[in-house]
Amino acid sequence: MDQHTLAILIPLLPLAGAVLVGLIGLPLLRSRSHWLVITPVAAALVLAWKLYQDVAATTTLACVAGKRMMFDSFRVYDWLLAESNTWLNVTFRVDPLTCIMLLAVLSVSLLVVIYSVGYMRDHHGHAERGYERFFACLGIFVFSMCTLVLAGNFLVLYAGWELVGLSSYLLIGFYYERPAAAAAAKKAFIVNRIGDFGFGLGILLIYFTFGTLEYSKVFQMIHAGATVGGGALEPARITTIALLLFCGAIGKSAQLPLHVWLPDAMEGPTPVSALIHAATMVTAGVYMVARCHVIFAASEYAMWIVATLGAATAFFAATIALTQFDMKRILAYSTLSQLGYMFLGLGVGAFDSAIFHLFTHAYFKALLFLGAGSVMHAMAGTIDIRRFGGLKRAMPITHGTFLIGGLALAGFPLLSGFWSKDEIIHAALESRMPWLAWVALLTAWLTAFYTFRMIFLAFYGKVKLPQGVEHAHESGAWMSAPLVLLSVGAIFAGYFGVAFHSGGAFGIFEPHGKLHELLGVLFAKPEKAVHGGLLGGHMLMYVSSAIAILGIFTAYFFYRRRPTIPMALALATGPVYRLLYNKYYVDEIYDLVFVRPLRKLGEICYDLDRYFINGILWIITLIPKSIGFGLRRWQQGAIQGYALGMVVGLLVVLWWMLVAA
Amino acid sequence: MATTTALMVVGAALFGLGVVGFLTRRNLIIMFLCTEVMFQGVLMNFVAMGLARGNLQGQAFGLFVLVIAAVEAGLGLAIVVMLYRRRGTLDAESWRGMRG
Repeated sequence: MDQHTLAILIPLLPLAGAVLVGLIGLPLLRSRSHWLVITPVAAALVLAWKLYQDVAATTTLACVAGKRMMFDSFRVYDWLLAESNTWLNVTFRVDPLTCIMLLAVLSVSLLVVIYSVGYMRDHHGHAERGYERFFACLGIFVFSMCTLVLAGNFLVLYAGWELVGLSSYLLIGFYYERPAAAAAAKKAFIVNRIGDFGFGLGILLIYFTFGTLEYSKVFQMIHAGATVGGGALEPARITTIALLLFCGAIGKSAQLPLHVWLPDAMEGPTPVSALIHAATMVTAGVYMVARCHVIFAASEYAMWIVATLGAATAFFAATIALTQFDMKRILAYSTLSQLGYMFLGLGVGAFDSAIFHLFTHAYFKALLFLGAGSVMHAMAGTIDIRRFGGLKRAMPITHGTFLIGGLALAGFPLLSGFWSKDEIIHAALESRMPWLAWVALLTAWLTAFYTFRMIFLAFYGKVKLPQGVEHAHESGAWMSAPLVLLSVGAIFAGYFGVAFHSGGAFGIFEPHGKLHELLGVLFAKPEKAVHGGLLGGHMLMYVSSAIAILGIFTAYFFYRRRPTIPMALALATGPVYRLLYNKYYVDEIYDLVFVRPLRKLGEICYDLDRYFINGILWIITLIPKSIGFGLRRWQQGAIQGYALGMVVGLLVVLWWMLVAA
Repeated sequence: MATTTALMVVGAALFGLGVVGFLTRRNLIIMFLCTEVMFQGVLMNFVAMGLARGNLQGQAFGLFVLVIAAVEAGLGLAIVVMLYRRRGTLDAESWRGMRG
C-alpha cells in the first residue's frame, strides 16, 4: 500500500468500527462491543507504524543528502467550490510530524480502549449501561483525532478540531443523568466555542490574505512575503493571524484564560480523561501551533505571547495542584501545567522539543490517569486522597505503574518526562526570554512535590479505606495490562528523542535523537539569543535532576516524616492557601463577570419576548378573531341550511350559464 | 313533445321534488329518500340523453349508476341507523353540533 492509501485508511478504520458499534452494538453485541473498536484501532496503529517507517526512510535519505524536504498534501476528494475555480478540498498531508502524532494518538488510544473493557463494568463484570455507546464514541474520537492530525489544509484541520470537540462533549457527558457531568460537558463545549471562534476567524483571515488554505501554499507565500492580492505581507497581519489561531489553541489546550473546562471535564469516565483530556485531544493546540510554525515564527510578538502564556499556565496550574485532594483533579491541573511547558517550548521556537514533550507526556499522563481510575475502581468511586491510603500492598501493579508515571511526570532522571521537559527548559534558557526558564524550573519543583504528595497520601502510610469498601483489590487483566504497557512507554518513550553521547565529560546520553532528526526537516533551528551561562551545556540536566529529587524529598518529608507540617503550613498561610484551594476563584470570577450578566440578559430578553412581542402578536390576532366573531352567527349547523346554500349556489351557477353568459 | 324532452322534464321534475323534499322535511329517513329521488331524476336524464344520441351508452351508464346508487343507499341507511341509535330520534335538528 502506498502512503496515500495508508493515510486514508488510518482514520476510516476506527470510523467504520464506531459506525458498526453504533448500528448493531445495542441489539447484538452489548458487552462484546469493544471488539469492533479494538480491532480497527489496532489495525490503524499497525498501518500508522508502516506509514511512519515509510516516511522515516525517505526523510532520513533526504537528510543524508542534505536536502530540504517539501511535503505536499494530496487530495482525498473535492469538497466545496468556494469561488469560481477555487476548490476547497479534503486533503491529507503526511510528514514526520503527522506520523509521530499518529503513533502517539493511536498507541495511547489502543491501550485506553483495552483498559475501558475492564473499567466500564461493575463489580460483577457486567457491562455498564451505555457500554456500546461509550465504545462508539471512542471510535469517533479516534477517527476525529486522526483526521485532525492528517489534515492537509486549514479547513480539514478545523473540521477535525470540531469533531474532537464533539466527541469530547459526548464522552464528558457520558453519565448524562448526573447533573454535574451534563454541566461539565456543556461547559467544555461552550468554553471551547470561545476559542474556536477566534480560530475560525484566523482561518478566514488566512483565506483572505493568501487565497488558499493549503498548508504548503500558505507557508510558501509567507516565506516569500506575498499575499493573494499581490501586495506585501504586513507584519501586523501575520501577527493577527497567529494570535487568532492561538485563540483556538488556548481553548482546546486549556491555557490560562480558558482553562476552566478541563478540571471539570474529569466528570467523564476515567479512560476518557486519560485519552482525551490528558494524552491526545488537549495536545491538539500544541500540534496546531507546531504545524503552523511558519506563521508563528514570522511574528515575534505572537511567539512572546505563546511562551509567556505557556509559562504562566504551567506555574499557575502547578500551584493549584498543590492544594487539591481529588486525584483526577490534581492530574488535570498537572496536565494544564505540562501543556504550559509545551507552549513555552513552542514560544521559544523549540517546536521539536514541544512535540517531544507532547509525545512523552501522552504516555506518562495516560498512565497516571488510568492508575487513578484503577484506584477509583477499587475504592468504589472514591477519588479523594484524604479518604484512603496505604494501598501499596493491596494494589501492587497499580502502585508500581503509578509510581513510574509519577517519576516520569516529576522529571526523575532518565525517565521520559525528564528528557523532554529538560529540553524545553534548555531552549527557554537560550532564548530571548531566559527568565521563563526560571519559572519553568520552579514549576518543575512544584510538579515533583504535588505528584509525590498524591502518591504518598494514596499508596503509603497506614492502610485506610473509605466507608463501604471492605478490602481493596487489584484490577483485572484488562486494566492492568495497559498500565504495564504504558509504564514501559513512560520509561522508554524519552529515548525516541535522545541519542548516545558523542563524547565529552558527562553522561552517556544527550538530547536530539531520532525524533529531532525527523522533525528537523520541518522546523528551522531556534536561534540562540543568549548562551545558557551558568546552566549551559549539560549542566542543566544535573540541576533539573536535583530539583526533581528535591521535590520528591520535600513531599516525603511533609507527608511521611512530619505529617503535621502541611496542616500547619495551610493554617499559617491562610489566605494564600484558600486562594489556591479555591483555584484562584477563577470560576467564581467568571460566574460574576460573564455568566450572571449573560443570564440576566437572557432573562430580560425572555421577558421582552413574553410581554412585548407576544403582546403585539396578540393584538394582531385580534383582527381575524373579531372577523370570525362576526361571521359565526351564519353557522347554524342545520343540515337543511347547508342544503339550501348548495341549492341556491346551484341555481346561481345555472342562471349564470344559461342566461348571463 | 318529443320523447327525449318528455323524459328530461320528468327527470327535472323528480330532481326538483327531491330538492324540495330534502329542504322541507326533518325526518332523516325522508331526507334520505329525497336524495334518492334526486338520484333517479339524474338517472332519467342519462336515459334521455342516450335516446337522443341514438345509442345504448346512456342506458348502460344508467345501469351502472343504478348499481352504485343501490350500494350507496345501503351505506346511507346504515349511517341513518347509527345516528338513530345515538340520539334515539330521527329529527335532523338534533344534529346541530356545528352551530357557531
